[in-house]
Amino acid sequence: MTKVYKYTLVDLARNRFVLAFAVLMLVLAEGLFRIEGDAMKAMLSLVQVTLALVPLVTLVFTIVYSYDTQEFTQLLAVQPIRRSAILAGRLAAIATAVLMALAFGLGLPLLVHLPGMVSLLLFAANALLVLVFVALGTLLALTQRDKARGVGIGLVTWFLFVLVYDALLMALMFALSDRPIEPWVVPLAALNPIDLARIAVMLRVDLAAMMGYSGAVYQRFFGSAQGILLALGLMVLWAAWPALVAFRVFRRKDL
Amino acid sequence: MLSARTWSVVAGKGEGLVATIARAQARDTIVIEGMVREGNVTVDKPLVLIGRPGAGIDGERKGEVLTVTSGDVVVQGLVIRGTRISNLDDNAGIKVKEARRIALLNNRLEGCFFAIYLSGVSDARVEGNTIVGENLREEQMGNGIHLWKCKEVRVLRNTVERHRDGIYFEFVTDSRIEGNLSRGNMRYGLHFMFSHRDAYADNHFEDNGAGVAVMFSHHIDMQRNRFIRNRGGSAYGLLLKEINDGEIRDNVFTDNTTALLVDGCNRIKAMGNTFLLNGWALRLYANSMTCTFEANVFQGNTFDMSTNGELLLNTIVGNYWDRYTGYDLDRDGRGDVPYRPLGFFALLVERVPFAMVFSRSLFVALLDRAERIIPTLSPEAMRDDRPLMRRPHG
Amino acid sequence: MDSVVFEGIGKRYRSLWALRGVDAAFRQGEVVMVIGPNGSGKTTLIKCLLGLVRPSEGTVRVNGQLVGSDPAYRQRIGYMPQISQFPPALTIGQLLEMMRDIRGLDAETVDDTLVGALGLDRQLEKRLSTLSGGTCQKVSAVLAFRSRPSILVMDEPTAGLDPLSARTVLDQAAALRSNGGTVLITSHLLEEVETLADRVAYIEDGRLRFLLPVKEILQRSGATRLAQALPVMLSNSATP
Repeated sequence: MTKVYKYTLVDLARNRFVLAFAVLMLVLAEGLFRIEGDAMKAMLSLVQVTLALVPLVTLVFTIVYSYDTQEFTQLLAVQPIRRSAILAGRLAAIATAVLMALAFGLGLPLLVHLPGMVSLLLFAANALLVLVFVALGTLLALTQRDKARGVGIGLVTWFLFVLVYDALLMALMFALSDRPIEPWVVPLAALNPIDLARIAVMLRVDLAAMMGYSGAVYQRFFGSAQGILLALGLMVLWAAWPALVAFRVFRRKDL
Repeated sequence: MLSARTWSVVAGKGEGLVATIARAQARDTIVIEGMVREGNVTVDKPLVLIGRPGAGIDGERKGEVLTVTSGDVVVQGLVIRGTRISNLDDNAGIKVKEARRIALLNNRLEGCFFAIYLSGVSDARVEGNTIVGENLREEQMGNGIHLWKCKEVRVLRNTVERHRDGIYFEFVTDSRIEGNLSRGNMRYGLHFMFSHRDAYADNHFEDNGAGVAVMFSHHIDMQRNRFIRNRGGSAYGLLLKEINDGEIRDNVFTDNTTALLVDGCNRIKAMGNTFLLNGWALRLYANSMTCTFEANVFQGNTFDMSTNGELLLNTIVGNYWDRYTGYDLDRDGRGDVPYRPLGFFALLVERVPFAMVFSRSLFVALLDRAERIIPTLSPEAMRDDRPLMRRPHG
Repeated sequence: MDSVVFEGIGKRYRSLWALRGVDAAFRQGEVVMVIGPNGSGKTTLIKCLLGLVRPSEGTVRVNGQLVGSDPAYRQRIGYMPQISQFPPALTIGQLLEMMRDIRGLDAETVDDTLVGALGLDRQLEKRLSTLSGGTCQKVSAVLAFRSRPSILVMDEPTAGLDPLSARTVLDQAAALRSNGGTVLITSHLLEEVETLADRVAYIEDGRLRFLLPVKEILQRSGATRLAQALPVMLSNSATP
């Protein structure tokens, strides 16, 4: 696994897409900090932008890269190593490459302009999103033979998570407004990794407002660091399950 | 008449404080050394009580520690502790009753039920005292500086921590409260009712259970105060209830659940205040009228504004809103399109509190943006026609 | 001695059998040419041997060892695929290093004959993204021989190669045979390999129609070249 990881990473270190992502993030973050003048305001804009952009870029990149390296993956699978080692090495390498781009493009500006808990949290949430969407992208590429179809499903997945899911959830909330649906809202939101990332950041950024919430159901969840840790923990699960399924699929897949 | 004498009271020696007071004449000075263990000490004549460093009075929980019933009394540099905790009578570290020309200076009051308690006092100065309560349950805790039916009192540069209310006024008029630090109190950092023509300036209220509440008063002047980190379901940076004719100027509100709540007020002028990183910067209830909000800074708040109905006759103009995305073609520093501080999301959360979960969601941001461009839900009057393009200095 | 044995191999994709009832044994010291129309199942058969495809039924043994979850048997297999996409940012040298590393071989034990013979030794610093299709084929060939395999699988080895390089690669395969290796080659170009092949396996519609020595095929059909012999053989519906 470490060998596959090492050389895949060497390859990815010069990948144009990864480099472009790093530069794009840097220009975006640095630009926001400079244009807004106020670091906190720039940070709040970054919350909105990155939580949408990072999953999109990660997902599309992972899917495209997986298809583009199909032939080579086949060659690797003929070597006397386990399939799981190949997949683990590749997953880790892709995640590392995107995370390094993220550290350079987002982490660096955050560190320079607004070092502190909120920045750390935003970076952690985005980093976990990278893991989630590398896993999801890999799984998608493994289960769809056709590249265009794979990318298409990836885009739909992203759109679902980033926008449609919240819209549906809110519609549901209104439709059932006369019933006690309150306890269901957060668990339902937790089914969406982007919502989890957003909630983790929000619980800190909007802490003052959160503490004004008087309902009994989420009092503890909203008001404390526990909620943040729980949200981040659930994101780890969100990265784990597609990865585990991907291992299962890849182990038995005909290449 | 003999000129004023100076008496010395040393803890554990001589005849003690109560006896010395009894023998002293008006205008005499008593200098105290060490911790005197005597409770229920009453000063019933004009005296100056001064403590040497480390000197003080321990009331040994018998009742009040020091009671002043005469005018022209100075209590300075004493450590005061050991009140009895009882809800039947409001025992205090220093209680002053029905007196004029009182000065309580640079004392330290530790673990008192009530710390400084002025009742029916006028022309008094409470300055430089440090007041630290004990961490007890609310019913076992009195207020730090408690004034009842007083006038012309100056409360200056005191520090109050861990009491029920840090500073409490009821029927206190024509007074000045300046430069105090009130933090970590169980209920309010500052709490006053029926107290007119008072000025509050340069005070710092931080991390109090419910923030600052002022009610049923008129002609209030609040300037350059800081209201910080008052968080909770019913915590307010500053709660104004039925206040008429007040000026709220150049204050800073940071990290409060609700920074400023205006409930049933008239002719309030809020100008030059900074609202930073609060949950709700301004909650303006519909029962308020002819209030003016001008040249304030709204930045990084989860919600800039909310209300509970139709707003009439209030003026919101020329503020800086960090969410404002309009343009300024005529370059006069004011946006050419109005800003509507009440977003879709604020309205939604007002009705469905747990919709808070959707804060910062892309979908909500889009709806919010749409609502600001084509308002369908927010009250027509709720808008700033001349929003500032740039944040004013500072 | 048999080095590769297929027993009742079948592979089904959904309801379609790509391969069915294949029994075949390949020996040490022989070159077998696997031919058949496009989509006949020859690639699937090879993939079953390489562990890329799991057979739906039957077993494959390599040197007596069952092909399954243990990847160790592939230590002895060299594979030359038709490949056009290597990791683009790696150089040829890095790729060779990577594959050697992955196979757990020492730098001294690998066979670098082809690196020089195909002229790659002057291009080791070249990035894989800049290579022509022919050079990719050369790299693929080098990788197949480099670990000194006893079983060599080549998929259209001469496609895209210049005649001289093709000759070099086939000569190397012949040398491997003389050293007791088993060589399986799929190809469309009958002329090119008929001189090299000892036996021919013909697959059609997922079935092994025959696996016969070249000589016997020519004898039975009375032809001098394989290209003429095959139609005769197939119309006779010969069986192995």
